[in-house]
Amino acid sequence: MIEVSGLTKHFRQTPAVDDLTFTVSPGRITGFLGPNGAGKTTTMRLILGLDRPTAGRATVNGMSYQHLERPLTQVGALLDATAVQGGRRAEQHLWWLARSNGISRQRIGGLLELVGLGDAGHKRVGGFSLGMKQRLGLAAALLGDPEVLLLDEPINGLDPEGIRWMRDLLKSLAAEGRTILVSSHLMSEMAVTADHLIVVGRGRLLADAKITEFVRPGASLEDVFMEVVGKCAP
Amino acid sequence: MCAVNTIAAEWIKLRTLRSTWWALGIGVLLSLALTMLGATTVISRWDPGRTPDQAAMGIIVAVYVGVILGQLPFGMLGTMTISGEYASGMIDTTLVAMPSRGRVLVAKAAVLGGAATAASLLIAIPGYLFGRLVAAEFHPSLLPAEVWKVIGGGTLMIAATTLLGLALGAILRNGAVATAALVAIVLLLPFVANMLPWGEEVNSFLPTWPALQLIEQLPDIMPTWAAFTVLAGWAVVPLLIAVIVQRLLASRGGAD
Repeated sequence: MIEVSGLTKHFRQTPAVDDLTFTVSPGRITGFLGPNGAGKTTTMRLILGLDRPTAGRATVNGMSYQHLERPLTQVGALLDATAVQGGRRAEQHLWWLARSNGISRQRIGGLLELVGLGDAGHKRVGGFSLGMKQRLGLAAALLGDPEVLLLDEPINGLDPEGIRWMRDLLKSLAAEGRTILVSSHLMSEMAVTADHLIVVGRGRLLADAKITEFVRPGASLEDVFMEVVGKCAP
Repeated sequence: MCAVNTIAAEWIKLRTLRSTWWALGIGVLLSLALTMLGATTVISRWDPGRTPDQAAMGIIVAVYVGVILGQLPFGMLGTMTISGEYASGMIDTTLVAMPSRGRVLVAKAAVLGGAATAASLLIAIPGYLFGRLVAAEFHPSLLPAEVWKVIGGGTLMIAATTLLGLALGAILRNGAVATAALVAIVLLLPFVANMLPWGEEVNSFLPTWPALQLIEQLPDIMPTWAAFTVLAGWAVVPLLIAVIVQRLLASRGGAD
């Protein structure tokens, strides 16, 4: 469970996140939507303790991220899949991450298989395509078998087979009772993946609803999204 | 328990990058070559009346001149260890896995300090054995009491430069800028200070003169304990500043 309450973040004078309050519940996929610069990534960074909020707070399982014991065993995050040092091999990247949280190195082989990198474990990450880096990032997020997953644009760079694979994987993870917050710009994909939606624009909460409530019968998610986001434009 | 995990993870990170082995390899091989060359030249000029203790001291001094030469590659390894994470953005992954910035920096310092000390021994031990071989006719004693000042000073200098590199990388977050600052502090400032009227006072507080005084390459301008204190300060204080700066930047959040 992720709880965000009154969360606000100003960069200099500009508010990036403005008094955001929402809860991400377990057992379903929550889509995190909003136009560029709406504050999605900043919100995720605040939840993960990478930036400090100007006001308000974000908690994971009732605790602020900094106070979690062995955080990777509770929260898995994929922010920017390209933010890896290219000189390391895929398995070495997962190895230091596992070691940092006292996770068994035995998990690495199986995870690389799961994300479709079974043959690429010995290869250096610098030579990976964006899609391969996304798969590696997902393996890193799943390393500690966490209850909570935060994924920022995880399907960027994936091929059609990869997108379908990611969708099925997220659905099975949610069915196991995990809490999943996933951001995306691809409305058609979100329409078939998410159970619940949180929509933000200019740092503010625009909608927090079941996808079946958010999208009227006959309209597409894209139509409703444009409508909602258009209203908050200056 | 947690600190052990952090140190172990940073150790894996350090040794799984090829640049680590390049920096250490270049530092060790270049220094060792110069040590052997220097020792041969110096020892060939010794007057025949040298006592076994003086001969041993002479060998150690020659060896630690070589060790000190290895400091720049090691210092650059220190800057790369953190600036490489800022450049690639992997620092975020590091902080998600290990949320305490201070603990990460201290763990990096521990593994870097260990690696630099081990590398300095890879220069010193073969260099020492080589020196004994060249100076065999003087029957050098094993390790007389006064050589420990040289060994201690040289080792502390290597560790201090490496950790200073790490601290500068953590504060400046840019490998090129941090390396330039490192070269300025270790090489340029002592040289410039030497030309100033109060250069000796300034140099007492920079890392290079105390180190070279301890390894008998420059005349004494301060007591031995003061030289050790200044060097130890350069190993510790910049890192403390880096921890504080990172805290401040994290609370403002604008710098990332």
